[in-house]
Amino acid sequence: MFEKILIANRGETALRIHRACREMGIHTVAVHSEADSDAMHVRLADESVCIGPPPAHASYLNIPAILTAAIMTHADAIHPGIGFLAENARFAEMVEEHNITFIGPSAEHIRLMGDKAQARSAAIKAGLNVIPGSEVLPHNDQQCRKIAKDIGYPVIIKASGGGGGKGMKIVHDDKTLKEMIPLARSEAEKFFKNPDIYLEKYLNPTRHLEVQILCDKHGNVVHLHERDCSMQRSHQKVIEETPSPALNQETREKLCAAAAQLAEKIGYVSLGTVEFLYSNGKFYFIEMNTRLQVEHTITEMTTGLDLVREQILIAAGKPFEKKQDDIIAYGHAIECRINAEDPQTFTPCPGTIDDYHAPGGLDVRVDSALYAGYTMPPWYDSLIAKLIVHGKTRNECLMRLRRALEEFVIDGIKSTIPLHQKIITQSDFIDATYHTAWLEQFLKDHEI
Amino acid sequence: MSKDKPASINSEHVRILAQLLQETDLSEIEYETESLRIRVAKKTHVVTSSAAVASLPPPASAKTPDAPESPPDGTVIKAPLVGTVYRAPEPGAPPFINEGDTVKKGDTLLIIEAMKTMNPVRAPASGTITAILVTDGAPIEYGEQLVIMTP
Repeated sequence: MFEKILIANRGETALRIHRACREMGIHTVAVHSEADSDAMHVRLADESVCIGPPPAHASYLNIPAILTAAIMTHADAIHPGIGFLAENARFAEMVEEHNITFIGPSAEHIRLMGDKAQARSAAIKAGLNVIPGSEVLPHNDQQCRKIAKDIGYPVIIKASGGGGGKGMKIVHDDKTLKEMIPLARSEAEKFFKNPDIYLEKYLNPTRHLEVQILCDKHGNVVHLHERDCSMQRSHQKVIEETPSPALNQETREKLCAAAAQLAEKIGYVSLGTVEFLYSNGKFYFIEMNTRLQVEHTITEMTTGLDLVREQILIAAGKPFEKKQDDIIAYGHAIECRINAEDPQTFTPCPGTIDDYHAPGGLDVRVDSALYAGYTMPPWYDSLIAKLIVHGKTRNECLMRLRRALEEFVIDGIKSTIPLHQKIITQSDFIDATYHTAWLEQFLKDHEI
Repeated sequence: MSKDKPASINSEHVRILAQLLQETDLSEIEYETESLRIRVAKKTHVVTSSAAVASLPPPASAKTPDAPESPPDGTVIKAPLVGTVYRAPEPGAPPFINEGDTVKKGDTLLIIEAMKTMNPVRAPASGTITAILVTDGAPIEYGEQLVIMTP
């Protein structure tokens, strides 16, 4: 087992990992930028090393500085946390080259899943559904019509060289397809200097579902059930819950089995999350995250497992003790991501926390690195706290969430607590009929 | 405690309880009737009910900072990267600088080793070395004070 783990992260993520380490009797090394000298993860760690100036590229993404800190402090493993270097295959490789254990999957798996096209073909090979789509469209109307018909309308035209929604066109019939193809080509040329376009089935409304998987070095592969992350704004998750209220038991089992099947087929080791879009009773693989997720907490609440602890044990070569049938998800759990942002405009609001009071009570968990008097630096992610509640039923969970949000005090800066309070009173949330586009529409129609 | 009037202390009760406490090796015994409550305890801190609010731990550090309380005047040269500092080009060689030396702009003052590469720390201007704040072979953090020099 490891004696000392260097945590290459900051904020509540670093704290989360620190907590697992301390409970396992492992010493921790915090690395930090000059802007984070007073941060909670630095205060609580056994040792700390300042690795660079405030900008992330010079500190938390500075591979040589982090490796030097690990060597200097004699850390025998590095936990990359979430974000920053967590999905950097080169970093994982360099850590191992220095005889330090990377707490995560192999560089090879990070690389495979980091490449969208490769990840898609790996999923197809493993027998998973992917969103039906075409190769680059030919310059022939009749052939394009045939391709669209095979996929099935509605379809979406996407730029091969693009992303971020630019140049995308939703098409419902042959006539519009003929009109839109030349337009999409010229936009693709303009935005991405590449006129190539392709078709994909347009799914609407969709829910964003994901399955937590856990694989050890001894061939044990299990799933820890699904999470529903459909409450999103600008592709950022806002609220997550488990189990998904959108699934029946049969589909749930198929979804979870598909995720485990992919992990098994590619020989994956460590924690991972397989993400799907779910629409009209069908689910489609979209990507796999080869790391810990922000919302792992709700899975911990229902399964009673400490995922970071398990991740560390796996990296140390220990076999996972439980079999699939021993993993029982109990009750319902919801996480609210609380950001230091204006709840209406979503402008980040860094500053000094004048007062801080976290809610408590039965089945309420707050993961946060805030404290009264802490000054939030403007350089990093705006996530400041995760409020996680658990209940025997979804209804109990919602009631508990409401009262926990009422108790939460973060003064001195603006936070998205009012947004969460508003969302949870909406009938679409209470009835669980929301989907991935719901929140953005709601924000257009309502003042928070 | 009595709701109406303070009950007179029955020392016999206390004595019996104290004896019980010794015999049973308990740390605390509480005895209550309608009119009074007696609590005997071996250690006073056991019965204090208000826990002190834990203060935040101070920032941990890889080592104890030994920066002088009032650094001498002059330009402070700080570590441009995290690593191990060396005062000489190789073990046994004379150090690049000693206190009191005059240096020219661009002269090497120290070397910081990180990832097996040697990174020279050079004088930003010509001047005199007034203090060297690090020892040979010490691990240093980013931004740590290394050398103080005056023009």
